[in-house]
Amino acid sequence: MALFKALTDKLLGHGEASIAVPILDGSFKPNTLLDQADVVGTFESPSDLATDGKELFLADGNAVRRLSGGAWRDFLTAEGPMTALACFDGGIAMAIDGKEVRIAGGRFDGKRWSAVNGVPFVSINAIASDGQRLYISDGSLTNAVDNWAHDLMNHGCTGRVIVLDPNTGSARILTNGLRYAFGAMPIGGKVWISETWRHRIRSVGQGDEMVLDHLPAYPGRMAPASDGGVWLCLFARRTQLVEFVLREAVFRRRMMKEIEPEHWIAPAFRSGDSGREPVQAGGIRSMGVLKPWAPPRSYGLVVRIDANGIPVYSIHSRVGAENHGIVAVAELGTDLFVLAKGPRRVLKLSIGNIEKEVAE
Amino acid sequence: MTDGFAKILYRLWPGHVIGEVLSKRWTETAIPVLALILIVVWLSVELPGFFSPASFPEMFRQAGEIGLVVLGLSLVLIVGGIDLSVGSIFALSNFTALLLVNVYGWNVGPAIFVTLLVGAALGAVNGFLIGILKLRAFLTTLITLIVYRAIYELLIQQYSTQITAGTPDSAVWDFLGIGNVYGVTPAIAACVLVAVVGHLIITRARVGWHIMAIGGSRRAAFNAGIKVESTIALCYVVSGILSAASAVFFAARLSTVAGEVGLGLEVTALTAAILGGISLGGGNGSVTKALLGTMIVLLVRNGLINMSVPGGGTRMILAVILLISAVVDIKWNRNRLKLLNKVYVSPTYHELPPAPECSPQAVGPYRMNDRLADVETIGLGEVEGPEDVILDRDDNLYTGTRHGDIMRFLAPDYKKVERFAHIGGVPLGLAFDKSDNLYVCVGGMGLYYVTPSGEVKRATDETNATLFSIIDDSRLRLADDLDIAPDGRIFFSEATIRYEMHDWPVDALEGRGNGRIICYDPRDKRTRTVLRGLHFPNGICLANDRQSILFVETWNCSVSRYYFDGPKNGKVEKLIENLPGYPDNINEASDGNYWLAISGMRNPVFDLAQRLPGFRKRMAARLPADEWLAADSNKGGVLKFNDQGEIIDSLWDIKGRNHPMITSMREHKGYLYLGGISNNRVGRYRLPGADPNYVQSVRRWGSR
Repeated sequence: MALFKALTDKLLGHGEASIAVPILDGSFKPNTLLDQADVVGTFESPSDLATDGKELFLADGNAVRRLSGGAWRDFLTAEGPMTALACFDGGIAMAIDGKEVRIAGGRFDGKRWSAVNGVPFVSINAIASDGQRLYISDGSLTNAVDNWAHDLMNHGCTGRVIVLDPNTGSARILTNGLRYAFGAMPIGGKVWISETWRHRIRSVGQGDEMVLDHLPAYPGRMAPASDGGVWLCLFARRTQLVEFVLREAVFRRRMMKEIEPEHWIAPAFRSGDSGREPVQAGGIRSMGVLKPWAPPRSYGLVVRIDANGIPVYSIHSRVGAENHGIVAVAELGTDLFVLAKGPRRVLKLSIGNIEKEVAE
Repeated sequence: MTDGFAKILYRLWPGHVIGEVLSKRWTETAIPVLALILIVVWLSVELPGFFSPASFPEMFRQAGEIGLVVLGLSLVLIVGGIDLSVGSIFALSNFTALLLVNVYGWNVGPAIFVTLLVGAALGAVNGFLIGILKLRAFLTTLITLIVYRAIYELLIQQYSTQITAGTPDSAVWDFLGIGNVYGVTPAIAACVLVAVVGHLIITRARVGWHIMAIGGSRRAAFNAGIKVESTIALCYVVSGILSAASAVFFAARLSTVAGEVGLGLEVTALTAAILGGISLGGGNGSVTKALLGTMIVLLVRNGLINMSVPGGGTRMILAVILLISAVVDIKWNRNRLKLLNKVYVSPTYHELPPAPECSPQAVGPYRMNDRLADVETIGLGEVEGPEDVILDRDDNLYTGTRHGDIMRFLAPDYKKVERFAHIGGVPLGLAFDKSDNLYVCVGGMGLYYVTPSGEVKRATDETNATLFSIIDDSRLRLADDLDIAPDGRIFFSEATIRYEMHDWPVDALEGRGNGRIICYDPRDKRTRTVLRGLHFPNGICLANDRQSILFVETWNCSVSRYYFDGPKNGKVEKLIENLPGYPDNINEASDGNYWLAISGMRNPVFDLAQRLPGFRKRMAARLPADEWLAADSNKGGVLKFNDQGEIIDSLWDIKGRNHPMITSMREHKGYLYLGGISNNRVGRYRLPGADPNYVQSVRRWGSR
């Protein structure tokens, strides 16, 4: 019966085979708050933010930088590019080139992991902690961190979430077989996981359930918020064209074979400057105006979710603006720091101002 | 599927035919035709010999008699009414004919004339009550049905014995009833004649259009000035006449004045009309539908009678067929256009070589720069969609807007703007002729011109139709750009014959050669198509040799030369191929070269999609138009090339801030003026070293 339904769904374009994308409404209603943010730094290749509640750290290329007194200073350097960062127990936990997780400083200085159950790490892209353990997400077993677009186009489903215990030095798989994992956040006894290509947040521990499903964008890392909820970064929005291409095997295969990845039909961190990226009909300037609701190749979106998993409000950077590709946030005091990978900037917003604006 | 295989397959497969056939109005009758075919097949199988030539005369006789009534009733249905009294009018006319011929011994001619007059009078009563007094059609004709039948019954009580006793001695009368010429009976001949005349009137005469309009919306027709009341009355009169005509043949055949004459005829006729697809609401119908319905009803009834089905059973089966047919027909007509939208776009295999490099770091003539970033703007926000710009001998600037206006910016500072003329449609390419008339290609209308005093005149809006084209390509849908030869002949491009002005981007998805180049000769006012099957022909420019025109094929990214004179007359040569973007208009430069506008850039994904027609078809069917892949019209530029097809210079707006989509450029006295169909400004760029006295009209036609 289920097989028959799957078959008719595929034929008619219903259910799972539908290429419809949820609209931005309710808590996701668009605004331009991300564009009103202050820029606190522009970097070469920033990849993650971390905070211990007192200071802000940024992973930029091979280095970790620290923001103190309004200026950025080098903190430490590694031998490979950093792909994830977190503050842990007085020190810093970082992922080097997606293959190794290492702790520097604090009680567990020097601890490192590079495999679990004999299977080495391939694309560690996020680290979070609950004070005692580290929760890391390995996006895919077949594609490195920077080749996430390949993973999407190939319907990758080898993402996993791993729990590292520095006390015992052990590593155990919490869940695997995910369609790309990009962020695991321990919250209230459970672990929330961003299953990116399935555009949903899952909750594992004491039963498996959905926290948020049918998101209009691809979920990424999460950061704890002051009242027990989380800030969720969505690094790109879904479009019907991408959903359509994901269901067109011949076109996808030839596109991946004959065209460079930066010119594929796929979400991106930034758009509008390369002369050869695909353009959709709605994204053409008319009478001098590029409409903000044009189909987005890149987009800036951060959503505030409360402890019950309900999205409360969101901050956007729409089509035609610059602060796209949000991959990390950190709440520090009354400020929210946002890492926009498109323009390679760190932005700062005042949470009080945000809440006042969205309340209107 | 490999590219080579796809190429062959799509060249042979006429996929576009399906959509084009569906877009024709006659596909509305698809369901009745299908039903008729099914019935014919079923009857040939069940009753061998049913369709033998011997049975044709009888079948046609009945068809002719019923057909005349159905035609009359259909006319009334089309105008939005209904005539339930056709059966009673039939009976009274039958009585009149028999009275005159059998009892009073009149000649056949005058008898028929008076019978038709009686039918007209009876119909006129309906017409007066419904058309002029505006009573409800259903109720009124129900009443006249009863009244006329009552009159008939009273009359036959008095005259029936006399009628049955009389035997007219007229060969003509007998022939009308039971004669035939090679199987063609007078009844069917009359029916076919009325059908043909009726079809011509409904589809091509003004009164026919008025009838359709009234049926569509009586209030709107009234507001448009149509004489609603008298037209409706006329339809009832015609219905009466046709019922009477049918009665004449019936009378000649059977000579009976029984009480059941014409009883239930209105139900049969109504069934036939609805089975044929004529809607009860009005405004929709045709002679074909009426005849189809008649044939269906006749064949089913006769078939069932031949199978010895009792009378009640026949009516029941007919009712069931009516129900099914009505439901299917409604569903079909409601969804036909939805299906058409999905099916009409028929992409085909279209291959281009890999695009040449044109990034700022590239080597080659197409290397992008930012020279157009600092253009002056003219009329920012005051013109919308200036696709082409042109300047006259007094340096005034003219451009079209998407509101159908030709706007004129006054020299020398172009700050003051006025409306020079209003044409309508979307004015595209512009050119001055030797008398300073401004010729304009107007998308959606055709080729027009504006005299120097601002008067708008039409040059041509049609050309010769192609014999085997399903689409009516005698109409001009998207006249794009033009240029004028020294002898006054005007060559202009029609970008596509499959799409209208407002959805031309869909033609990009097709990649078919849907366009053509047309020549209009003002000397004898004749228009003919000179080149066909071009991929969105766009810009046209008279070449320096004055014997050929250069033309652009936008989706082919190419420029070609067509000789219209001289020894190579009729030949086409490719001049430039594999441009890095989609070219639009060409105009001449002051130094003997040509300017070419690049309205958008190619990208690898779109080029790949052009080699996968199935992908594009599914994309067009399943995604909304906003999400489709498109050419990147957010960046554009201008190229300069020479008669050998070599690129000499290029100007780009690499960020696309001021002039994202450049569709045209015009050189005038040392400046280059830029236009864009999706833009809201005209650009003005200073050309270093260009001839400061160059005026195109002077170069072409000499000084005044």
